[in-house]
Amino acid sequence: MLTEDATPEAERIKTPYLATFKPRLMDWSAAKVFALKNLRIAIRYPTNFLIWGILPLLWYAPYILMMIAIAGPGTSQSFTELSGFDDFITFSIIAVFVYQYVDKSIWSVGNNFRWEQFSGTLEPLFVTPVPRISILVGAAFSDTLQCTFSATVLLVISSVLFGVSYAITMVAPIVVMLTMMVFALYGFSFMIAGLILVFKDPSVLTELISNITYVLSPITYPLQALPSAARFAAVLVPSTIAIITIRELAITGLFQPLSFLQAFASMLGLVIGFWVLGVLAFRWGEKWTKEKGSMGGF
Amino acid sequence: MEHEETESFRRMWARAGFRAEAKAAWAIAINIWKIELSYPLSVLWFIVMPFLWFIPMLITGSAVAGGTESAVLNDLVGTRDWVTYIAIGTSIIGLTISIMWGTGFSLRREQNSGTLETLMSTPIGRSTLVWGSMLHNLSHGGLGVILQLGAAIIFFGVTINAWGIFPALGIIALAVIGLQGVAFAVTCIVLLAKQGWMIVEFISSGLLLVAPMSYPLSVLPPILQYVGMASPLTWSVEGFRGFLMNGLAYQGVVQAVLTLVILDMIFFAFGALMFRYTERYVRAKGALEQF
Repeated sequence: MLTEDATPEAERIKTPYLATFKPRLMDWSAAKVFALKNLRIAIRYPTNFLIWGILPLLWYAPYILMMIAIAGPGTSQSFTELSGFDDFITFSIIAVFVYQYVDKSIWSVGNNFRWEQFSGTLEPLFVTPVPRISILVGAAFSDTLQCTFSATVLLVISSVLFGVSYAITMVAPIVVMLTMMVFALYGFSFMIAGLILVFKDPSVLTELISNITYVLSPITYPLQALPSAARFAAVLVPSTIAIITIRELAITGLFQPLSFLQAFASMLGLVIGFWVLGVLAFRWGEKWTKEKGSMGGF
Repeated sequence: MEHEETESFRRMWARAGFRAEAKAAWAIAINIWKIELSYPLSVLWFIVMPFLWFIPMLITGSAVAGGTESAVLNDLVGTRDWVTYIAIGTSIIGLTISIMWGTGFSLRREQNSGTLETLMSTPIGRSTLVWGSMLHNLSHGGLGVILQLGAAIIFFGVTINAWGIFPALGIIALAVIGLQGVAFAVTCIVLLAKQGWMIVEFISSGLLLVAPMSYPLSVLPPILQYVGMASPLTWSVEGFRGFLMNGLAYQGVVQAVLTLVILDMIFFAFGALMFRYTERYVRAKGALEQF
């Protein structure tokens, strides 16, 4: 009989961890453990770091080759008038680098619980007494580290292949802006994680979000190339302001404090907005799934 | 012993020939359609996918061309209309991905659903499982081509030559043979490496990169141009676009069709042989159901 083997209620309460346990909004030690667990798994497959530094090149190179076929190698009058930059290859490659973080936040962090489900560890994970958000923060942190490595490999290989260079003196403000974007993306990915808990089928939903985000992001074209309604939507994508600012810094090598502070303030607004939205969406998704009893369902 | 005497068992065991295999392949294709259509988001994705793939290319092209014509493209391929050139060329992307991924991973999907061994023990040809999936992906991807081209004609002013529609369909038929060879090879990778998606991703992304869908081969580095010329996808795209843009006046028809037929024979024979030996090898090792 199960009841005979089960620990009596009174004894369970005496467990030191449970006796001192209080629900918290965020458990940083759980986030750290989860990040380390994910990193340990990632390090077991070292070639993945290299592959993810090369594979995106195969996806973005067709855009650059298409631009060359339409406008000739490197520059076009129309593009310069629209964007203010001479060279569309230099323009695109730095944006591709930044966009890797968006891609990772959608495909990796957003789908984190789905991957746990496929591994058969989702339900055990959900009965642990830690806030779910700390699990997501841990996953997001480990993915940021992996993405930084792969995106840097991609940037170096692309720069060599296409013969482009960027202002290395602007590394500090670029890192600040990237960090802000990554924090905003954490909120964005929590939102996706909530949606995926509800809708399950990760491939289609993720593809939809990923493709819409890609269309709205000014990667191979400037924001001005989008229709006006799409431009407003584009600003709400966490990466848009970061791509524009980082590109400006990396290509021109000029640091303009006022415009940088403006971009920083906008990013701060996005960080707060996306975290609030993301945490709320995830909590709603979790509650809805639990009430429906479909947590482990495919 | 008892069930061997039943009529249905005798009929099932006696089934043979092309018609029987075609019926089995059709049943598999319908089964996949039913599964796909039971997910509303999948249906939505299927409808919007061709637009979402094409729109960034259209915006990128407009940003660099500043209009609907390109003098550079005219120098390279003899047409100024870059929108039509790219819209027709990229309309096959969905079909190609659908065949390579959908068909290549068909056995893996059955394995994940726990139905692979059951299917393998039915009295149908092993390759019929792959052909059935291909039939589904052909109809799925084919509808995608029609959707993308239809939208490009209605919304983006793309023009196609009506006389070229039937010959272009003939090119698609030839393309499918070569792509089926690639799909067989992908199936082998999946059977051996189980996950293997990264290898498949490299193969499919590599083939798409060297195919002249949104740019001519001449903009690629020389070594990639040679790789591109050895791919059936390259000649499928060239033939398909050539007929739809120029109709029966398409001048490169002989070169495109002849090369495509030769590459089809090589790719299909190589892929089918690979599948035959890999499937036997995996069964002999008892690794069919391993993850």
